[in-house]
Amino acid sequence: MRVTSLLGPLALALLLAAPFGLPIFAMTLLTELVILGLFAMSLDLMVGYTRLVSFGHAAAYGLGAYASGYILLNSALPLPFAVLAAAILTGMIAIGVGWVCTLATGVSFSMLTLAFAQLLYAVSFKWTSVTGGSDGLAGIPRNPGPLGLEVLSTKNGFYYFALACLVGSFFLCRALVRSPFGAVLRGIRENEAKTLALGYNTRLYKITVVAIAYALGGLAGALYSPFAGFANTELLFWLVSGQVLIMVIVGGSGTLIGPILGATFFLTLEHQLSSYTEAWALFFGLTFIAFVLFAPEGIWGLAKRYLGQRAPEETEQAPAAITKAEAKPHG
Amino acid sequence: MSTLAFLLNQSVNALSQAALLFFLGVGLTLIFGIMRIVNFAHGTLYMLGAFVGYSAVRITGSYWGALVAAPLVVGLLGTAFEFGILRRLYRRDAHAFLMVTFGLALVTGEAVRLIWGSEALQVPAPALLSGVVFLLDEPFPVYRLFLAAAGAVMAFAIWQLLERTRLGLLIRATSQNAEMVHALGTDVNMIRSAVFGIGCGLAALGGVLAAPLVTASHGMAASAVIDAFVIVIIGGMGSFLGSLIGALLVAFVQVFGNYYYPDFALAFMYLLMLLVLVVRPGGLLGKEA
Repeated sequence: MRVTSLLGPLALALLLAAPFGLPIFAMTLLTELVILGLFAMSLDLMVGYTRLVSFGHAAAYGLGAYASGYILLNSALPLPFAVLAAAILTGMIAIGVGWVCTLATGVSFSMLTLAFAQLLYAVSFKWTSVTGGSDGLAGIPRNPGPLGLEVLSTKNGFYYFALACLVGSFFLCRALVRSPFGAVLRGIRENEAKTLALGYNTRLYKITVVAIAYALGGLAGALYSPFAGFANTELLFWLVSGQVLIMVIVGGSGTLIGPILGATFFLTLEHQLSSYTEAWALFFGLTFIAFVLFAPEGIWGLAKRYLGQRAPEETEQAPAAITKAEAKPHG
Repeated sequence: MSTLAFLLNQSVNALSQAALLFFLGVGLTLIFGIMRIVNFAHGTLYMLGAFVGYSAVRITGSYWGALVAAPLVVGLLGTAFEFGILRRLYRRDAHAFLMVTFGLALVTGEAVRLIWGSEALQVPAPALLSGVVFLLDEPFPVYRLFLAAAGAVMAFAIWQLLERTRLGLLIRATSQNAEMVHALGTDVNMIRSAVFGIGCGLAALGGVLAAPLVTASHGMAASAVIDAFVIVIIGGMGSFLGSLIGALLVAFVQVFGNYYYPDFALAFMYLLMLLVLVVRPGGLLGKEA
């Protein structure tokens, strides 16, 4: 049995056991980590598997957060249903976003996603009846239910709920990228023109993957607002988009696990550095620069190299006729 | 106020705003044209320019000294960054540049906080530029007129640099085919260093010019980098003329949008960008579709 195939169940067992061994502040951090991990993983579907580099993934997070916050504040809908509804709503909006953004490719695509997220950011200040303007939505409850179930509104209950969302989404994404659909996505990543020539409607695939990624990003956001108890305009700010992209890349894009590790790294570093020094962002920035220079394959790539293993994702191929795109000369 | 005076007043306002946006956008677009890099740190360098300008005014006692010192210092820093770090990454994909410049933005932002503190700092305009003039019997700040003029002069100067000088020729050639320029015996890396430095210096010039208007503050960076991206995307990545047109469009939309529909002013800029990209995905003058 390979070492890496044992890591997954081991990590899951540790995560499941965490509430029994960790103090309360650590559980808060861990819950946030699970939510951010889900957020980063959702972006990896676009960035790592389809090479659709989104600069505006905060849009998904913010949409999900505001939607679930609004539902929980204004109805008695039980927490799981409200979260799910917010995720589905985000995914549906993303169909429109994907339609517009996939008009462009490359850097222009990135910029369109950024424009859309900034548009939402601007709207969130002005549409006060829904978003609460610059105050945001505060006092978001964790509505009890379904069937009168109270357990999800407790701290640990909510953690398990978030963890279930992460694990469920992980298996969903893994099934997706291993399916024929995922093979076409990798074909688009390696050489879109060839994939198109093989008869795949690449634009339709791209819109679909944008919708799925936004729905899962929305799920993360929808978990965040009842976790934090508030939703504000900061969640839609471009810095969030930048940070989640960094998590994906630091962790190792195109691996699903990598971004979760990236989120862990990001959050832990932020937490540790901010307790030692006021100037944590300085060291934070230097760490990223060092990663780019010395560990371009990300944390997961480093781990695999260290363990001398290749993850199954890496050996999966795009459809046989689609080979690597010729390296484009820079400049 | 007569309609004509109002339009004139707002137009000069928009032109002075366009000048600041142009300094941001043209640097970004030059860097992208040569290096295919999206420089995330551009807004932070703009902010750095304002703070270096503040110190230069205090040391030299002259605003004009600051106008020279800020672009020079920031430009040299940019060149050093290209030389030390970016140069190792040209064989890698766009992700690497994105991260490394994001890291630079974090480091620079924090360094500014450590050196100058978290307070917004006043940079006074020189006495010569701090009065008002009367345009059609309406008072108007001289500094705004100065900005608009400075923008026009610099735009002309950069255009001449690109069209008439040997360096400009090499820059244009490198943006079209770097390998060929290299094969013809020119050190492309030197051009990249120079262009990255010039781009960073132009951002800093914008920052120090903006400082008397808005004070030097940390908030400058975030809005500046987004504005710069929007301008470059509207104009077309890598196009000099595009960045000029983009800056003018965005400035007029911002100024007039702010006057007529202050609630939606922020959204207008992004709507303009979406509209341009839907019609022309590569930007108005961009090559890439």
